[in-house]
Amino acid sequence: MKSLSDVFTMLRRKSKGQYLLLFGCLFFSVFLITAYCLMMRSPTVLNVLPVGGDSRKQVMMIFVLAVIGCGAFTLYAAGLFFRHKARELGTFLALGASRTILGRQLRREVGLISLLACVMGMALGTPFAWLVWSIFRLTLMDTPEMALLFDYRAYAIPFAFSLFVIAALLIMLARFLGRVNILDIISEAHRAEPIRALPRWCGSVGIALVVLGALLGYFVPGFCVLQLHWYPPEGLTAVFYLPALAGLYMLLLHTVVNGWKKGKSRYPHLIATGMMQFQGRQTVRNMLVITVLVAGAYFAAFYSPMMATTAQLSLAERTEDYAFFYPTGVDMPDQAEIEQLAAKNDLTIKDYRSQKSTTLAVDGELHVESESSVGVTYTKEYQPMLESGRFFSESAWNTLTGDNLDLARGEVAGVFNAEGYGDGIFGNDISLVTNPVTKQTLSVTPSETILKNDVLFSCRVLDDGDYDTITQGLTDDWQDVQVLFNAKHDSYAFAKSLFHEIVTRANEEMAIISSYDRITRELYHSRGEEYFADPENAEKYDIPVIDFTQPDSSAFRQNWMYMPQFRILDQADFTTNMAVFLLLFIFVAILCFAAVGVILFTRSMTLAITNAWVYEDLRKLGASGAYLRQTARGQISRVFKAPIFVGTLLIFCFYTLILYGNGEGAITPSEWAGLGTCLLVITAVSALLYGLYRLTLQRAYKELNLTANKN
Amino acid sequence: MLMVNELHKAYQVGKTKYKVLKGVSFEVDKGEFVAVMGPSGSGKTTLLNCISCYIPSDSGKILLGDTDLAVLDEAAIAKVRNEKLGFVFQDFLLLDGLTVRDNIMLPRIIGGKISEAMEQAADRLCEVFGISHIKNKFPADISGGEKQRTAVARALINAPELILADEPTGNLDSKSSRAVIDSFLQAKQELDATIFMVTHDSFAASFCDRVIILQDGLVRCTLVKGETDRRTFQDDLLKVIRDLGDSEVMQP
Repeated sequence: MKSLSDVFTMLRRKSKGQYLLLFGCLFFSVFLITAYCLMMRSPTVLNVLPVGGDSRKQVMMIFVLAVIGCGAFTLYAAGLFFRHKARELGTFLALGASRTILGRQLRREVGLISLLACVMGMALGTPFAWLVWSIFRLTLMDTPEMALLFDYRAYAIPFAFSLFVIAALLIMLARFLGRVNILDIISEAHRAEPIRALPRWCGSVGIALVVLGALLGYFVPGFCVLQLHWYPPEGLTAVFYLPALAGLYMLLLHTVVNGWKKGKSRYPHLIATGMMQFQGRQTVRNMLVITVLVAGAYFAAFYSPMMATTAQLSLAERTEDYAFFYPTGVDMPDQAEIEQLAAKNDLTIKDYRSQKSTTLAVDGELHVESESSVGVTYTKEYQPMLESGRFFSESAWNTLTGDNLDLARGEVAGVFNAEGYGDGIFGNDISLVTNPVTKQTLSVTPSETILKNDVLFSCRVLDDGDYDTITQGLTDDWQDVQVLFNAKHDSYAFAKSLFHEIVTRANEEMAIISSYDRITRELYHSRGEEYFADPENAEKYDIPVIDFTQPDSSAFRQNWMYMPQFRILDQADFTTNMAVFLLLFIFVAILCFAAVGVILFTRSMTLAITNAWVYEDLRKLGASGAYLRQTARGQISRVFKAPIFVGTLLIFCFYTLILYGNGEGAITPSEWAGLGTCLLVITAVSALLYGLYRLTLQRAYKELNLTANKN
Repeated sequence: MLMVNELHKAYQVGKTKYKVLKGVSFEVDKGEFVAVMGPSGSGKTTLLNCISCYIPSDSGKILLGDTDLAVLDEAAIAKVRNEKLGFVFQDFLLLDGLTVRDNIMLPRIIGGKISEAMEQAADRLCEVFGISHIKNKFPADISGGEKQRTAVARALINAPELILADEPTGNLDSKSSRAVIDSFLQAKQELDATIFMVTHDSFAASFCDRVIILQDGLVRCTLVKGETDRRTFQDDLLKVIRDLGDSEVMQP
């Protein structure tokens, strides 16, 4: 004897595919977000990624895209589920079942599924993150810093996402049940979602809006800071990207509704286009999600190859094999000691040079920030002693570099990187140099000569006479020794030994980070403000601490003020120094591409299966197996190709724009090489996605009974 | 049994309001088999949906016995649908996950009247409509005619005061249509069922006691079969419908 609950059980069993689809989509979304969050909030990652740095912002930006993608995907899955349940629900209502009982039953089912999916997603996301990271450590690289630690507070985000998912499902259910017209509910399952006719200019306008949004989104924040002296909240600047999103929607809408083929060439695709149009809104929304996720995934995927390519090229082009500097008076290895160590390692030191440099104060504009009703604004305040700069005399420079520089009195030459750029952090724009001890000043004008040198990047050079005058009375603690040399038959063992020797001999005063600036510190203190890089503020501002017992840690090597630049050491240890950075972005890319793959597969299969009856009708009209396969291929390829192509092209162009913007309006040769590597990544990922497309196509053929040997 | 008085219903599409029912009135007596016919757009399905309370009417009365259906709240309507009305739909609306027997029992299960009597009633209805041999099959495994006979059996399991049928032969071949009509006649004769059927099919309507002809949202005429034989009654129906068509064409 059957009760109503037995009836519901039977119905569930019969349509377990739909329940599994809903469960799978919810599970995957929470699973992915859990894995991402745990990694993003892991102390392993947070200890390495600098606070307020671009890397953290990029990881967060991609995370936001992933959350939007997963959110839209779960709503799509829920929409499909309710459409499927519509006929059952309508029949029950038509036969006199009360909405209260049906609502209670459906709430129980949906609540249980979503709860189970969320709990399992959160539970399995953790071992998954650990597993992927462990595979990285086993197969790619492993450093002590890569030991994975989880901060369980990170569960707050997937927990909040789970609550959102459950609440969204229950709201959708309430709206669904709240419909007055039973006939509407019954017909819901078969209702098409055609998109109204769309003018053909929609595609071109979409492209224009995408370009406009990308330009506005990228340049407006800079404009606000530089021209309006206003640090707009990040949420507000994100608004400027909205035209790009709207344009993307129009572009995809045009692809689905009109297609890009004109005239008679559209006839072979007529059926596929027509079928897509009647799945319109859902299809375009899905394509938009995939496009955004593809863009996010590639953005993460580009990070490691771009970093590796530019760094390796830059290292290869360094003019010196070895460069280091240290405060005068510290007992560092001298030429004889270095040669002795070299001999032990069977190599010969050549071109040994050593010159003094001094630290002087330079002028500039201090940005004095203040809170206002529109956020943080700043005013520029000229400071004759804004920050410190390392200076060489022109003769010292010539000795170190072999140049024949001859500056006029009152001229200062800045040292740019080997490609002639300031890397966005260094400019040749000072007008006053001050001796920090005697407070004697020297007015300077920038020289037209551009000095290029990677190892002495951001130093400045003065005329010998000026240098002698301004450095008079300067105490030893403001003076450094710069050492440069090359090696014949260079060896990693020698470089590492010398590096460790330098660290061993460093004194406590040298335990400072590279952004520490004595002049700026004095300025802050004179204004009654605390200086962020003071060691006592390290914890408060999450500033890395220089620990001489951990010279091989990436925190030490990336942040120590006196970190030697040894080509062979930097080349060999690049991946280990950057391991957490590189692998984090690879991890993020894998997660996003996995999401892309799952959504593409799910959407393609549901699209094909929903339209199965059309294939039956076409078969009755005499369509051959080949024609039916071509139609199925047309549908699925559109779901795959359009968002992947648009997402890939969009992010590659945007990435190039970022490089262009960061590089003061130019792209360096090493960045071009990095972009070339990114193209290789695109090729490899596209090949994988093509494999997924073929697999999906074969599965769809099988579901639609269109396999090659059948008609 | 059923009294519909001055029933009005309009649909709003954009800024345009379409009046579909413009004051429909009629009665159906207990044990009667009544059909509603009329050209497309005459308001037949809207009338049935208003009586079923699937869509709300704008004004007018729908009395089932002493109960005014137009003023009932959601819970009361559900109770009426479950206990006093039986439904047969054009596309059957059988649940794919339930067997034929389970589908027939569904109204009782929904109403919470689960008993051995329910199973016996379902088995009896299966016998009456000749579907005992398929009672453990699922809808996907049976023919259209068998599906509709299952739907008729389901409509009768609660011994409703009125069966409402919407184009019950619309999706069936002639043989299956005949089987479904026979099942209605059987229900009327053996179970004293009252049946109100909307149809396009003059053949199906010719088996009814009375046929209400609807045109432009109003009852144009009512044909009573009486002692007339079925073929003659069908001819009468076709003539009336043809005349209605001609008058529509003649309109300026």
